[in-house]
Formats: sequence, C-alpha cells, structure tokens
Amino acid sequence: MMTIFTCTDSFEGILCGVHDAWMSRLGHENVSLALEDTGNLRMFAEYRRAEESPGKAEKVMEAIRRKAGREACERVYRASLSCEEQKADRIYRFLVCAFRVGPEIVNMLQIPAVYELFRMNRSVENEARSLIEFVRFARTDSGILFGVVGPRCDVIALMAPHFSERLNAENWIIYDEKRRKAVIHRAGGGWLTARLPDDSFRRKLADSGDQQEFESLWKIFHEHTAIPERKNPRCQMTHLPLRFRPYMTEFKGERR
Amino acid sequence: MLIQQEMDLKEKLAILSDAARYDAACTSSGVERKGKPGQLGSTAFAGICHSFAADGRCISLLKILYTNQCVYDCRYCVNRRSNDVPRAAFTPDEICRLTMEFYRRNYIEGLFLSSGVLESPDRTMELMHRTVWKLRYECGFNGYIHVKAIPGADPVLIGQTGLLADRMSVNLELPTAEGLKSLAPSKDRARILGPMRQIQTGIAAMERGIVPRGEPLKGAVYPWRRQFVPAGQSTQMIVGATPENDYQMLTVAEALYRNYDLKRVFYSAFVRVNDDSLLPALPGGPPLLREHRLYQADWLLRFYGFTAGELLSESHPDFNIFLDPKCDWALRHLEMFPVEAQTADYGTLLRVPGIGVRSAKRIVAARRAGRLDFAALKRMGVVLKRAVYFLTCGGRMMYPVPMDQDFIAAQLLGEERRRAWDIGQKDSYRQLSMFDDGFLNPVPTAEDRVSAALGQM
Ligand code: SF4
Repeated sequence: MMTIFTCTDSFEGILCGVHDAWMSRLGHENVSLALEDTGNLRMFAEYRRAEESPGKAEKVMEAIRRKAGREACERVYRASLSCEEQKADRIYRFLVCAFRVGPEIVNMLQIPAVYELFRMNRSVENEARSLIEFVRFARTDSGILFGVVGPRCDVIALMAPHFSERLNAENWIIYDEKRRKAVIHRAGGGWLTARLPDDSFRRKLADSGDQQEFESLWKIFHEHTAIPERKNPRCQMTHLPLRFRPYMTEFKGERR
Repeated sequence: MLIQQEMDLKEKLAILSDAARYDAACTSSGVERKGKPGQLGSTAFAGICHSFAADGRCISLLKILYTNQCVYDCRYCVNRRSNDVPRAAFTPDEICRLTMEFYRRNYIEGLFLSSGVLESPDRTMELMHRTVWKLRYECGFNGYIHVKAIPGADPVLIGQTGLLADRMSVNLELPTAEGLKSLAPSKDRARILGPMRQIQTGIAAMERGIVPRGEPLKGAVYPWRRQFVPAGQSTQMIVGATPENDYQMLTVAEALYRNYDLKRVFYSAFVRVNDDSLLPALPGGPPLLREHRLYQADWLLRFYGFTAGELLSESHPDFNIFLDPKCDWALRHLEMFPVEAQTADYGTLLRVPGIGVRSAKRIVAARRAGRLDFAALKRMGVVLKRAVYFLTCGGRMMYPVPMDQDFIAAQLLGEERRRAWDIGQKDSYRQLSMFDDGFLNPVPTAEDRVSAALGQM
C-alpha cells in the first residue's frame, strides 16, 4: 500500500516531508508526498503527517547542498514556490535522482523527474520576472511605496532582492493579496517577509498628494507612445496577459 | 511654427511622446549596475520591459523628445518644419521630475531622450546634456539613460553627454547616401557617421581605462562614476521608405556591427505620416513582414554566426516572404544536413532550423551525461516540426524524410505561409514568436524577447 506523507505548503514543510518519507525506509516506490488540505484523498493509501521542524529541513537542505550542489538547492527552493499541487512529490522524485547522480543532474533534462522540476522552476521564474516588470507602486502620504500583486506562485520573496537594490533609499511594501503576505523594505536597510492577519492595514495607506497626477501622466504616456498604424491588441495580450492588468496603473478603469 | 506657451505638463507629455514614438531604438539593456546608497535606480544587463503599448511593443524607457520643434524638414518625419502640428518643449526640470516619479513607481526603466533640432544642433545637444546632468547629479538618478547624439553637434558636447548616458544612438535612418539625399537633404552620411565614430572611439578608450577628455563640469560633486556610454550604441534604419533591397540593408547592418561596434541595429517599418510625393504609397500599411525578416536575419548575424553574404546575394537580394531566413538558408544547403544531435558541435547545431541558442546549449550539456532521443530534444526546446528534416538522433531520423529540397520546402511552407500571411495582414496578424517556434531563443535582452515575438526583431 502507498504511504502518503503530507506536508504544509512551504519550503520547510516540503523538506520535512522529504525527510520523513526518506527516513521511513518504505522504499521510494511505496511513498509519495502531498500537500496538506488539498482535499484530494486517495483510497488505498495511508496518510502520515510530516512533523515540521527547522532542524529537519536544515538537515535535508544540507544533504542536497553536499550531494547535489548549489544549483539543485536553488531549483528545489524555487519549485517549492510553485502553484502546482504535485510539487512536493515532484521535488521528492527529483531528489531521488539527484542524490544518486550528483550535481550533473541539473543538466539531465532527458530524465522526466528532472524535466518536471526544471519546468516548475521556469514557470516560477517567469512569474517573478513578469511581476518585477509589472508591479506598480503607489506613493502613500507617509512616503511609502506600496505595490499589490496577486501571483499564481509565491514569488514576492524572489522579487525583493531586485527592488531592495533599486529602491534602496525608499520605504516600500509589496503585498501579495492572495496569500496575505508582504515583503517590507526599510529605506537604506534590508527586507523581510511578513504574514498579515487581514488587509485592514490597506485602509490606512492613503495616496500622497501627487499620486493621482502621476497616474494620469503615466496613462497619457502609455497611450501616446503606441503607433496607431501598428495597433496589435493580440500581441499586447500575449506579452501582458489580462491577469496582470487589474493591478496595473495604465489599465485601471479599462473595460475588460 | 505654432508654439504654445503655458502648456501644462500633460499636454506636453502627450505631444512629445507622440513625436518620439517612431523611434524603435529604445531598449534598456547592455549594462548591469547595482543600486547605490542614497540614489534611485539600478540597471539590468538584459534590460527590463515594464509595459506593453497598444501596438504590442515593449515600453521600457520614458521615450520622449525634448522638443518637437525642428529647423529641418526631413520628408519622412512627423516633426519636420513644414508640418503644421502643435509644438512643445519640456524644461530639464520637468523631464527630471517625470523620470524620477515614474521610475519610483516602477513604470519605467529609465529615460530615452531625443529631440528635434531647436535652433542648432549645438543648442539642442546642450539642452539635452543639461537635462541628463541634472538627472544624474541633482536628482541622484542611477537608472538607465539613453540619449540621442544630434548629428552636427560639437563633439565636446557629445562627449560630455556620453559620460552621463548608458547608451547613445545616432540614427542612420536611410541605409544609403542616395536615400538620405532624397528624403533628408539636410542630413548627410558623414554627419551621421562622425558622432558614431566618436562614440565608438570613446567606448574603446573607456575599455582601456581612459576616460575621454572634456571639460569637467562646474559644480560636479555628486559621486557619479564617470563611464562613457557603458551600454554601447545603437542605430535605426527605416525599412521601405527608399528602394534599397534586403541585401543592401543587411550588408549595411553587418558593416555597422563590424566597423562601428554597434550593440544593436533596429529596423523600423516605414509609417507614412506625411503626404509627400517622394514617399512610397504603401497601400498595405507599414512593411511589417519585411521588418520582421530583417530582425530575424539580424539575429542570425549576431548570435548564430551567419554573415550577410550567406543569407542573401546580389542575385538573391530579398528575403523569402514565406520562409524565415534560417530555413531558407538550410534549404539551399541540404548537403550539410542531416546533423547528428549526439555529436554535432555547438555551432553546427545552431544552424539547424528549430534549434535555438538555448536548446543548443541544453543539448550540449545534457548529452555529456547520457544519450538523447527525440522526446528529450523536444523537452529541451527543439521545435521538431522544423528540425526533423535536418536532424538525426542516434543515427536515425525521427521518421524517414527524403533529403529533397522541394519536398522539405513544401512541408515547411505549409506552416510558414500561414505565419507570413498572418503577419502581413494588418489587424489579423497573429502573434509570431521566434522563441516559441525555436527559431531564435537566446535571451540577450528582455526587449529582444518580446520584440522578437512582435516581429520587431
Ligand atoms: S532632424 Fe530629426 S526631428 Fe528634424 S525633421 Fe529631421 S528627422 Fe525630424
């Protein structure tokens, strides 16, 4: 019978799942990993909850680093941010190969388990990159730059290093309204991620006096920089899918 | 000339972004610069697109003219002296404010500043220089700046501006001296190539550690690291305003890459904004498909090791409408195919239709660790529906294909004709991605990535 180890939807949670499944010594083909609370219970399987502890996650991380190298570590981390329900098991399958082969594993896309991890990585990276491009900040009356996103994958932590370079002298917040998570950056300092109990804090953030002015200036520019003779909504759609637009200044008020 | 005083910032922005939009050479790539404490901004080597306009083109920089007033009368240009259009000019402070506030909100990657010629090239260059100087030194802006060099301006001014800008460009506009003479009589080739050479020499000197000479500016105390045009220079050629063929265009581009070390040549399908008897009529709209083919070929020059002479010749001077330049080339060189995926070197793999820079790299990395099959090639991004005619894997083709030009052409054409049709048909053209089809997929810049899909490159 299959034993399914369930874990929380987080990097640490998944690593703990990997740990417990591996240490159970039931054999790789007899175990699988699943996220908690997905509601997809399988018949003829035994469910075990992976106990979460930082020590365990640390140990697995160390093992990956040692046996499979840095690149594999990073890929596992990014895959853990994916929005795919099967990500935990896919990470496990990848690690089974990675521990056997070593650092070369990351190039071996001919192996399906490696390709799956690569594919999840790519979509996480793509979304982080898109949001680095598309996130819009509004300046609040207290001078904080406030940006809201609603990503499929949990990418705000991947966006933070970019903005902490670029907007180093600013106080800013990027808020993931789907997960109620935020990265918060203090001017001249570092950044941290925080979970927020609700989004009542948003009501306290009023726009600065010139926010409206720059929003309309930006809309004007956005409209006028397009060449009318080359109008191509389809192409615009491909590069800037509708799901990003509700968060973007230049599409505010546009009928969908 | 109608110059309105007391115009508000919104009106100015509308006029001066309208006036700048036909310049395609607007990217934010080529230099990686970290943020600096107390300053605003950083740059990414690959460039960053922040939005997409209704024409599907990437918006990376705040692309504006300083002014759309101009003493010249180039026939193709919407800002020419003889056009009766509203005129405006920014002040340096207005441009700084727009740039800083847009940048902070993550609308843009930086500033692209061009201009009509106000009074004289020197006066214009001087105003542009003053603007970017303010932006760097007074506002502490550390993001991307692209400035046009105005042909005919004092080299000292151009040199000074280059110390503040990341990229500079002088537009060639028309590929040959004759073309230039007919449509832009006030410009001549020497005046365009002069600043191009100056910028090239300045960059080369910078790379050897020599900061170009020039008067240090009074009051220059902000610790801006003096570098000369670190992201290199680019240029633009208009496609289809004059009778040059693709071979001439591509040969000029190749010469610019070789002799002037340009980072990029942009091609801009001619849009007939003026009713002028010397301009072609273009009933089908701007020649977008031709522009697209030129961008594809340009990529083959820059990333795939092709030369202009391999792709076109005097007797074969224009690109095939129905086949992309790489397929077209492969079909004319069937003796070099099929290629074996397990053993062919990187350069040879790159020449296979359906294999791009990224998939070629993945193949080379993966086969070191084990054997490949067609399914694996597909996962690595190889577009099999093209590559099958040119590729073996483990000594075998995916299915038996006669190495016959007509047969393969017919197979490829089925797909290509549809694409070409789509792109040539205004309003109905599909998104045509050179990345999805595996024709071109290195990731040199973010704008490349998206513009390729647009048919811009
Ligand atoms: S110099 Fe430039 S702005 Fe002036 S008419 Fe010629 S192309 Fe237009």
